[in-house]
Amino acid sequence: MKLSFEAGVEAFRREFVEWLAANRPTEAERAAEPARSSAHVPDWARRWARRLFDAGWLVPGWPPELGGRNVGPVEQLVYLEEMSRARVPRTTNPQGLGIIAPSIIDYGSEEQVRDYALPILRGEKAGCLGMSEPGAGSDLAALATRAELRGDRFVVNGQKVWTSGANYADFCFLFCRTDPAAPKHRGISVLLVEMDRPGLRVKPLPEIVGRHHPDLNEVFFTDVEVPASQLVGKLDNGWAMASGSLAHERGMVWLEGVLGLQASTGRLIADAPRWLARMSETERAGHVDRIVRSWADAQAARCLGYRGFARLVRGGTAPEQALMKLMSSEARQRVALTGAELQGARGLDASAQEGYFTEWTPLEQYFVTFGGTISAGTSEIQRNIIAEKVLGLPRG
Amino acid sequence: MDLELSEEQQALRDGVRRVLEEQCPPALPRAVHERAETGLALWQQLVALGWPGVAIDEAHGGLGLGAVELCLVAEEIGRAVAPGPFLATATQLAPLLQATGDAPLAHALLRRIAAGTVTGSLALAEADRWEVARVACRARREGEGFTLAGEKTAVFDGASAEEIAVVARGDEGVGVFVVPGSAVKATPRTLLDPTLALADLTLDDVAVPAERVLIAPGLAAERAVERALEVASVALALATVGACRRIFELTLEYAKLRRQYERPIGSFQALKHRLADMYLSVERATALGYFAAATLAEDDPRRAEAAALAKAEAGDCQRLLVAEGLQLHGGIGFTWEHDLHLWLKRAKVGDALLGSAAEQRARLARRLGLVAA
Repeated sequence: MKLSFEAGVEAFRREFVEWLAANRPTEAERAAEPARSSAHVPDWARRWARRLFDAGWLVPGWPPELGGRNVGPVEQLVYLEEMSRARVPRTTNPQGLGIIAPSIIDYGSEEQVRDYALPILRGEKAGCLGMSEPGAGSDLAALATRAELRGDRFVVNGQKVWTSGANYADFCFLFCRTDPAAPKHRGISVLLVEMDRPGLRVKPLPEIVGRHHPDLNEVFFTDVEVPASQLVGKLDNGWAMASGSLAHERGMVWLEGVLGLQASTGRLIADAPRWLARMSETERAGHVDRIVRSWADAQAARCLGYRGFARLVRGGTAPEQALMKLMSSEARQRVALTGAELQGARGLDASAQEGYFTEWTPLEQYFVTFGGTISAGTSEIQRNIIAEKVLGLPRG
Repeated sequence: MDLELSEEQQALRDGVRRVLEEQCPPALPRAVHERAETGLALWQQLVALGWPGVAIDEAHGGLGLGAVELCLVAEEIGRAVAPGPFLATATQLAPLLQATGDAPLAHALLRRIAAGTVTGSLALAEADRWEVARVACRARREGEGFTLAGEKTAVFDGASAEEIAVVARGDEGVGVFVVPGSAVKATPRTLLDPTLALADLTLDDVAVPAERVLIAPGLAAERAVERALEVASVALALATVGACRRIFELTLEYAKLRRQYERPIGSFQALKHRLADMYLSVERATALGYFAAATLAEDDPRRAEAAALAKAEAGDCQRLLVAEGLQLHGGIGFTWEHDLHLWLKRAKVGDALLGSAAEQRARLARRLGLVAA
């Protein structure tokens, strides 16, 4: 058990911090063209991705040809810590960098890596992830969007929903059913579908706050023709990729939750005194207790995450990891609500401006945090997974 | 930051667990509950293994390990609901002696603790508040020595400890004075969990000769007491989490075995979600306990807040685990005959002593600048 990292890791940290200070996008260029969606890559973001890629700072754990420098998991963790501390977005197409590009690199053809994965990494293209459907949410394997192989092309029919960034993406990493006769987990394949194909229609789905800049969409496919060469990996073998792709950087996904939670807790504590000063002593006590609990949540998430991480690095298993998404998404909800209630009636004000990366007011943030407890497996599903997979309770 | 136990630490933890499973099966705390046992025989076994001196320097005859190892033993003590002088002697008195620098009195006592020839405790609380600022017990100068007068409450092993470090207030602030247990009037408290023995003490002009003044009144004494209290709090926090983890294991096991409506009750989603929350609670309290232990071991500047946080988390953890553990066991857990209550009661005791979760959060609120210090 050790609180510090080894000297070599700290040297790595210093090297990155220095590079970051010299190369980060400026506040001015970011403000001039804010990213409007999780697949919108403004010019500054494109240039930023290219700088990261060329310098080997995009995914440090990968080899240089993929924008990395072959460092180990501890360095990768330190890198993400510093990126978060500097409050610089690593990418404006997180699902592209985190899930789509790695899946293509692992499963795709050389041409697909050249035409889709590398352009994502260099900020030249943005992808969206076609997974959920009206009838397939938590039960993703129930997806019904059909891709029928006819000669040298697939014909796609069906509908996706909650597709982040589909309104800005260049292509979709689409999970579809290629063998309707097979059991539901088999018979699923992945296609790379250009968003400008005839028969493909995107309908933005304005969200609970920030309706002028929707990121979620419905995507309709009507006889959309896709060349057979756009199949990623083997036919009917897409489910492996669904679990596989979601597991990309899974060893690190927890860290985003923790860093986000720490940042919002830090802001709450910095902002709290001026609101607390207006209150009576009894009223203040309740608020203070909730703020301290949020601070404790952030510390707990950090310690639990680092403990699991240490186990993974040593080659063991880390059942704690299954807890992290549940814990940090619910904690973020609490911290936002605490912040909103602290401000009383003033907390009801709406943000003056909005965009995909807007700093929402605490009350808006509170609504936004439900995205965390609903998407990628609701909190209820997370509890089922913990109960069944980690604790070994029988399925109901 | 690496919050996983090293191989040596895991081996120690596993070893301690094995010994306690053998030497302290639930029948032992049950016998203490039923007034048929005291736990002193177990203490002799622990002494033979050198555990009282786990964190005492080898120069004083200890094992020379650190705060992490001390807390791991405490965690297992809680898991086994082990009775006896370990918590008071090794996690309260010894850390205070270690925080005093090079005093000959500290040396001599540490040597005896490591050898298992003395039991001890720390008398800090008054009116059941473990806060240095509230100490009113007087230390009056008498020639080279002092005379102590006042009341102390909720002293661990207060009626049986052979050497008690008393925190008392002199003109220059609080000081620490070591008095023999026989010199104070102890009124044992009858606890719902008798595996931890508490007593209130009356000091009726107890004379302390100069060589028994551990730290003279002043800022250094205050700091030493604070630091020792941090160690004691983290150890008790992990002991409490150890009891909670056992409650969780028993409840999980029961949910898998107990059948109703032709299926295990653990297949019902309502129970699954509650067991998942119990698991999360135990894991986060463990992680914060280990983090706090590491700050003590490395003397990290965050140690005070980490200790308060670990104790607060342990308190919240027991609140959930006691409630859900008892509820999910149904009628059987409500009986004296079932062992569950041994852990439930130990967990409750662990929160209320050395400052409850609510007290720790109040302390943290001051440290975070949310209320005036």
